[in-house]
Amino acid sequence: MWMGCIACAAIILGVLALVLWYLISIGRQSVNLAFFAQDPQPYGADGYPGGMRNALVGTAILVGLASAVGVPVGILGGVYLSEYRTRAWLTETVRFTADVLAGVPSIVVGILGYELLVVPLGHFNGWAGALALAFIMIPIVTRTTEEMLHLIPGSYREASIALGATKARTIVRVVLPAATGGLITGVMLALARVAGETAPLLFTALGSRLLTFDPRYPFPSLTKQIYDYATGPYAEQKQQAWAGILILIVLIFSFNLLVRLFTRPRQFRA
Amino acid sequence: MSSTAAPASSKGVASESPHHSSFRTARHRRAYRSDKILEVVATGSATALLLLLGALVAVLVYAAVPSFRTFGLAFLVHSEWRPNELERFKRDAQGQIVKDQDGEPVTETIPPAFGALPVIYGTAVSSAISLTFAVPFSLGCALFLVRIAPRSTAKPVSFLIEFLVAIPSIAYGIWGLYILAPFLQQHVEPPLNAVFVSVPGLHWLGSDATTGRDLFCGSLVLAIMVIPIITAVSRDVLRAVPRAQIEGTTALGATWWQTSREMLRYSRSGLFGAIMLGLARAAGETMAVAMVIGNVNQVRPSPFAAAQTMSSLLANEFAEASSDLHRAALLEVALVLLVMSLLFNVVARWLVVGGGQASGAGGH
Amino acid sequence: MPELGNPRAQQYPPVMKELPMPDEPENVESERAHAAPSLPGHNGAAPQSRPAPAFSGYPSPLATAPPRREPSLTAQPEIHPELNSEPHVLVLSQFCLYYGKHKALHEISMPIAAQKVTALVGPSGCGKSTLLRSINRLNDLIEHVRTEGRIMFRDENVYGSNTDVIGLRKRLGMVFQKSNPFPMSVFENVIYARRIADERSKARLHQVCERSLRSAALWDEVKDRLHSSALGLSGGQQQRLCIARAIAAEPEVLLMDEPCSALDPIATAKVEDLIHELRGRYTVVIVTHNMQQAARVSDFTAFMYLGRLVEYGPTGSIFQNPRLKQTEDYITGRFG
Repeated sequence: MWMGCIACAAIILGVLALVLWYLISIGRQSVNLAFFAQDPQPYGADGYPGGMRNALVGTAILVGLASAVGVPVGILGGVYLSEYRTRAWLTETVRFTADVLAGVPSIVVGILGYELLVVPLGHFNGWAGALALAFIMIPIVTRTTEEMLHLIPGSYREASIALGATKARTIVRVVLPAATGGLITGVMLALARVAGETAPLLFTALGSRLLTFDPRYPFPSLTKQIYDYATGPYAEQKQQAWAGILILIVLIFSFNLLVRLFTRPRQFRA
Repeated sequence: MSSTAAPASSKGVASESPHHSSFRTARHRRAYRSDKILEVVATGSATALLLLLGALVAVLVYAAVPSFRTFGLAFLVHSEWRPNELERFKRDAQGQIVKDQDGEPVTETIPPAFGALPVIYGTAVSSAISLTFAVPFSLGCALFLVRIAPRSTAKPVSFLIEFLVAIPSIAYGIWGLYILAPFLQQHVEPPLNAVFVSVPGLHWLGSDATTGRDLFCGSLVLAIMVIPIITAVSRDVLRAVPRAQIEGTTALGATWWQTSREMLRYSRSGLFGAIMLGLARAAGETMAVAMVIGNVNQVRPSPFAAAQTMSSLLANEFAEASSDLHRAALLEVALVLLVMSLLFNVVARWLVVGGGQASGAGGH
Repeated sequence: MPELGNPRAQQYPPVMKELPMPDEPENVESERAHAAPSLPGHNGAAPQSRPAPAFSGYPSPLATAPPRREPSLTAQPEIHPELNSEPHVLVLSQFCLYYGKHKALHEISMPIAAQKVTALVGPSGCGKSTLLRSINRLNDLIEHVRTEGRIMFRDENVYGSNTDVIGLRKRLGMVFQKSNPFPMSVFENVIYARRIADERSKARLHQVCERSLRSAALWDEVKDRLHSSALGLSGGQQQRLCIARAIAAEPEVLLMDEPCSALDPIATAKVEDLIHELRGRYTVVIVTHNMQQAARVSDFTAFMYLGRLVEYGPTGSIFQNPRLKQTEDYITGRFG
């Protein structure tokens, strides 16, 4: 029977290998300099199919905007859960809500973004996409921040309080700096998750084939563009979709690797 | 509060003090304000989470109201999903076509009709099939990681499995669409279909066309996506089984499998929670499913027929919803999806955290 | 030195009167004198007013001492009269502390002499650390803690409703049992208190840092590595760093909670030397379970048991000539 378990693990790893192998080998063929340097060109135009530069830049901007909201709110929420427990029911409820929100399908979060920012503005726009991504980030960052802050020994807080520091100073000058590595881990995990999201962008930022820096209008993103290309009729664009997937996977993999590197040295310090 | 008893100059109290009194000076008032500010901001951020959940529910409910009013609860059981109006000949009570004074048939317009049954069916069946495939493999792998693998193997294997989680769903979607679906279409579905059709009791499982982009393919892709989650959580749950339990069973002469079965039985609520977490992910998964499931709103018993899930429906139709009623119907579907996923997550959390009391994983 | 009257009269405690404030020695004497019923069966000789015996550092109950009184848990604490002539910087008055329903400190009333070292000793769980932490209100950080009574720091009630607790803590420094330097550089650790005070001048900060580290006898060891992480120091160095950090805040009182219990003997000796040097500049209250340390280091010793103050007096008297049998038993190791 235990052989069966080994077989299970082997099969799972085999499937993973299968998936990755195809993605990497097919995607590799279309990754070239033009992919990074050029914007998409329509079928029949000069320089078709072009590249995916606009999508790469678009994702970077969307994730950046989402972090500007998501990271502070998430970290402060984690600080509340860990350091201020004035009302027990509130803490429990917020913690529970954060866990539950982390499991909500991202397309539903996209709908919220649509209703909040697309409907009033009258057209799809990048702000709505960034907002939807921020909504996805916040519960993740909150929970990881709380867990990281719990790891900081209470003796630091005691020593700081005994020296006459206020709680705010203790948190900002002692506790948060001590937890920096863990906080960065949490943020990077959230970034990796959010960079790979498509569904929330489907009807918020919608997507665009132009290189643009203006989030007030439909905004390109790597994931959406891959989706459009892959489900579209043009063979060259499908190739580019594979290339885009490869880039996305490489990005996410390196994020995860960095996170591992960050967490391991912590053990020696603590 | 100064002492009212002894005069300050009595020999009992040291009168010299290099510091001023501890009463609030202006600088202390400023320090307290920063305390207050941080507390307010932190509490506000925490409340933002509650507001987020509330907004999700409220906005969906509010925007789906037109659909509630038009279709009522029957929405959940009707299977016709037609965003456009229909023109058809008007028929009288006997079924004869009504003609107007010129002899031309009168047409009537049937308004759009929406029913969520096909997508509910699609979500339910695809999740169920994916779990049937995923759960045995996940539990087997979890047992492998906890009981068989030495530390040096377990770590990298765990890392790889967690990396499976991190792969974005469109990656699975593309792989499913261009690798798995053609493979199924050419090599798996025709023979299986032939089997179904020929076996007397099973022919309803067969389908006329096997394109590879159907419920079966969607379920397989979902299974691959869900396996790492169930494996990871099950591994943690199994790892938390107290050594005493394992050693006790082994000491009684149980075989490896019997001990493992005991472990599974001991942590069954946690494992059930892990499965529910996987279920929640499967039911809510959008992009991968949207690319391989066929995108036809129909209820067919065959797994080789095209289908639609709630999330794939939203992905396909929301951006170009043709009317307000269409959009409201879609929002009602989204509301059902939200409620369902909340339910799964709540139950799963309660099972994993509450049921695993012995594990010490309870309640961070 | 005011006579205390017949201490044996306390064996059958009178109707409990509130213990008068030690800055009213006249009252103390008169009350106790009035309260003394004449008791049969005791040799009525009042104890000689002995000059304080030569301080030997080791407890040695004298055979000619008057018979010790039996302990009674509801007795008034035995406070030696020498305390009343000292100027006091802290006065506890009927101070009680509850953890939820459990009463951890029972009506503690004691003065702390200024610029002297006072040791709190007693078996584990007797409440000495709790008492120490109550002085700078560190117990506020624990949930379900309730207090009664007063602690007067100079002329303010620490537990008053208007008290600026944060300002108070700046004047009461604390050193913990397990050294807890912040995960910052040595320099940042030491000047943390100055940063709280918004001190910007680099020169001044360096001055404070050097002065505090010198006071803590750590300067020579760390002067070349001021900006390296404090966590890289040895245990003894870290504890001296924590002392330097507390001193840098220029407190009036230093509260030390078993500062040497986690240190090896050499580091312990260094810290004890440090305490000797700090006496005179600071008031030090030190909690210790090491009797020899208390005898070496302190001027006054308070013996506590089960949350009550049992006996309190000059270290020499306590160790050579304890008035209560219970104290003597503890000091000689018969229990605890």
